[in-house]
Amino acid sequence: MSEVEENIKRLTANKHVQGVLIVNEDGQIIKSTLEPTLNKKYSDLITKLVEQTIFCIKEMDDTNDLTFLRVRTKKHEILIAPDKEYLLITIQNPETKS
Amino acid sequence: MINELVNSLLDGDRPGTPSKAEDTESEKVIPSHHARHSSVSTGYGISPVTSTPQSPSVTVPPRYIPEFSSFEAVILDIAPKELVLYSKEVQTDENSFGPSPPDEHEIRAKILKEQEEKEKARQAALEEEKLKIEAEKKRAQQLKDLSEEDRKKILVSNEFAKFIDHSTKIVERALNENYDFMKDYSIIKDNENDDQSGSRVKNLHSFFDERWTKNRSVTDVNWSHKNPELCVASYNKNPFALNEPDGVALVWSLQLLDRPEYIFHSQSDVLTTMFSEFHPTLVIGGTYSGQIVLWDMRAKSLPVLKTPLSASGHTHPVYSMQMVGTQNAHNLITASTDGLICSWQLDMLVQPQETLELVHSEHSKTDEVSVTALGFPDNETAAFWVGTEEGVCYQANRYGRAGGKAGINQYDVYKGHWGPITGLHFHPISGPVDFSDLYLTSSVDWTCKLWRAKSISKPSTSPQSITPLYSFESADDYVYDVKWSPKHPALFASVDGTGKFSVWNLNIDTEVPIVSTQVGSQAKALNKINWDKEGRKTAIGSSDGRIHIYDIGELAYPRDDEWFIMQKTISEMINTTESHSGRYAIAK
Repeated sequence: MSEVEENIKRLTANKHVQGVLIVNEDGQIIKSTLEPTLNKKYSDLITKLVEQTIFCIKEMDDTNDLTFLRVRTKKHEILIAPDKEYLLITIQNPETKS
Repeated sequence: MINELVNSLLDGDRPGTPSKAEDTESEKVIPSHHARHSSVSTGYGISPVTSTPQSPSVTVPPRYIPEFSSFEAVILDIAPKELVLYSKEVQTDENSFGPSPPDEHEIRAKILKEQEEKEKARQAALEEEKLKIEAEKKRAQQLKDLSEEDRKKILVSNEFAKFIDHSTKIVERALNENYDFMKDYSIIKDNENDDQSGSRVKNLHSFFDERWTKNRSVTDVNWSHKNPELCVASYNKNPFALNEPDGVALVWSLQLLDRPEYIFHSQSDVLTTMFSEFHPTLVIGGTYSGQIVLWDMRAKSLPVLKTPLSASGHTHPVYSMQMVGTQNAHNLITASTDGLICSWQLDMLVQPQETLELVHSEHSKTDEVSVTALGFPDNETAAFWVGTEEGVCYQANRYGRAGGKAGINQYDVYKGHWGPITGLHFHPISGPVDFSDLYLTSSVDWTCKLWRAKSISKPSTSPQSITPLYSFESADDYVYDVKWSPKHPALFASVDGTGKFSVWNLNIDTEVPIVSTQVGSQAKALNKINWDKEGRKTAIGSSDGRIHIYDIGELAYPRDDEWFIMQKTISEMINTTESHSGRYAIAK
């Protein structure tokens, strides 16, 4: 098993994690552990959200850049680690934490 | 007569300061003022006295010889009153009222035009939006989905691996945050049954990695001075993985539980490791081949610096090392089992700064002193104590001085253990009473012993054996390591071959540990232990490659009187040893 797969597997094995999605900058799915029906929705919408966020951050200070995005919702938390080319989207359920 | 009377009366009424105008007039009328007074009854009120100044040119008759006299005249120059003139005029110009209102037609035309323009802009925007949407659609259609091939290509690309490595680390750290910042305290959940709340020490986590620590043993553990959540552990070789490097050192973080933060390699088994106290990113390792290696967290996994394998440095295994000195002047002191002590400058590992060979002339077969453990008292950089394979401790000096020469002090022999010494640790100074001359040793003879180091300024001149202050004998196997707590004066911890982790508090009990717990499920031998900076957590290195992190909770914190109770305990121990042997003379 390659190191990449191992890392992804370890992440998905975390008991709080509901799903992991890796997309490229255009929102194309590279790897996903979500249900297929949710895939498209998440990849499209979150890519847009990240784009908007980066735009917003750069507009405020053009020397700045987005490094991590955490969205807390009623039902879960979305952790987004952006990079130049790829996005790692992790959905966790914080309710299970003590 | 009447005139005179009137005049005198008028004189009294009007004091002699008439106005200028009156003055000039009165001068003009001087010759006939009598007549005027007579004709005008009230007049201007000029009395003869005031109106006729005694000008010499007029009044002095020529027959007198004029007498000249000097006088001082004060000329006052009063500036004429300035007249300020203002001219009034209108300050607003005509333009400020604006042009005359345009007529209605013009307005209508304008509004219409504006509306038209707006409409146009709207249409343009709509069009643009449409185009955009279309473009997006096109793009989406084009992008649709990645083909299986492309996906595979990305998955094996180097860049993607780097991205995954980096981002999963961050996400995992974020996931490991145990505190839920959105916690609502008004909601009561009743699933709080902490299974370990009863015990006084708690296993926080055990670090293990399938690839890097399986079939290896932990040889040393050390905490970072800068980042309290980081600890580094060194491992020996994995006999089942010939392709992997022999020695590894892994940096573990309490925030990243499932894998090491950094992986460092070495060609030879790493026997001891530590974070550099003065460089937060550097990790030092001592190896079986005798090389000292230096890793940097900013660099890759291979050492950034290492000492050469030559006779100038160590050629035997290095089991112990210590940093001494200060931020600006520090040395790394390393000891190998052939009795060679080297002192290094961290940025120059090409050759040691000093070397010192520990030899003992009395030894029967070889004069080498095989060092297995090394310890400097706190704040001491020249004198140190070594634990040896033969089970004896010696004091040694790095430099020659008035009282003795560099090297081992042959006369003072700390004799008490019956097997090789595995650990030696000096009491860290941190309170009102100084215990810096106390040190603990652990040995394969199943005991830990407490010693009092003899003052280095008064070395013995004839062979003298020094007995331990106390012996702790509750272990049923080799004791592999012992360490004082950095915060509590009477607290220390030991680990042994049966997998027992024991915490001792000399103020409570000297016979048995206050806590003794079985670490791990399989009773594997525990090789090393180290306290974190706060003295609350310990990292325990096991022979099955696991690092166990234990939290000792409330036990870690000393009460105020703990220091004085400890002082009493120690002096009692000293008295007992003295009455037993009578050979140990107190230095103080």
